Amino acid sequence: MTTNNHVDPRGPRFGAAITSVLSLIAFYLSLSNQSLAYAIVVALGVLFTWSLISPSTHPYGWSFAKFIRPNLAAPKELEDPRPLKFAQQVGLAFALLGIIGGIFSAPLITVSAAFIFIAAFLNAFFGLCLGCQLYLLIRRVGIIR
Amino acid sequence: MDSTIALSIALIVVATLAGLVYRFFRGRGRSVSGAQCIKLEKLKILKDGEEITKFGKEATVVLFSTEYCGQCPAVRRSLAKLEYRKGGLLFIEVDITHRINLAAHFNISQTPTVFILNPGGEIRFRIGGTPKPKTIETELEKLGVK
Repeated sequence: MTTNNHVDPRGPRFGAAITSVLSLIAFYLSLSNQSLAYAIVVALGVLFTWSLISPSTHPYGWSFAKFIRPNLAAPKELEDPRPLKFAQQVGLAFALLGIIGGIFSAPLITVSAAFIFIAAFLNAFFGLCLGCQLYLLIRRVGIIR
Repeated sequence: MDSTIALSIALIVVATLAGLVYRFFRGRGRSVSGAQCIKLEKLKILKDGEEITKFGKEATVVLFSTEYCGQCPAVRRSLAKLEYRKGGLLFIEVDITHRINLAAHFNISQTPTVFILNPGGEIRFRIGGTPKPKTIETELEKLGVK
């Protein structure tokens, strides 16, 4: 199979660390200042969409390549982008829950931020990519091919 | 104000606990009873271009991988090394990318997944995720692989 588009797995984890900080701020604000929290969830939705449409121009990837990767040793393993892409789609789904649901019911902003935080936090600090784990399960059920 | 901070901290604690639980259980593996067997004639596994027809004399280690699995190459290397070092051990790999029905059949929810088989092809031990160091060797010793 093609291996030329494989990515350094530390890139997505770096991105997840930023996402976890943003979503934690959104979670905190959603309990007091909802409009600001809503703006952050919209920003997260834009970032997820961006990573799906054009990962190479994404600000996370760009700053990782520019500032972080030069200070790291070469990666031991490269990662196939398919599960990562799926994980971003799951992230986007949760952001959309906050963006669309938040219009009708404010607590959904909190729920959306909480889910995004947990997934991003586990990815960044424990190397557990929930979306990637789901990928095989969902293929097994046959929803995606 | 205080309760919003408390809730935010609670969220971090929950996520951290989930991560610690994951780290504790990942790659530990468990013994399997009920004796589900691997049927080589059904799996049709190629190794070095030839179809595998016989299990290892003492034990067989099966690695289920996918093309998109990030940890699989490292596990493959360590199992290949183990096969080279140990007598009577056979290492085979099954790529389930295009045979996703096998995942359902063997109830595989993640890759890498490793099975340890006895000489008769019965599944004796299974590990989901990257195996913890020494787990496989310890289990193989129980089957008499030195």
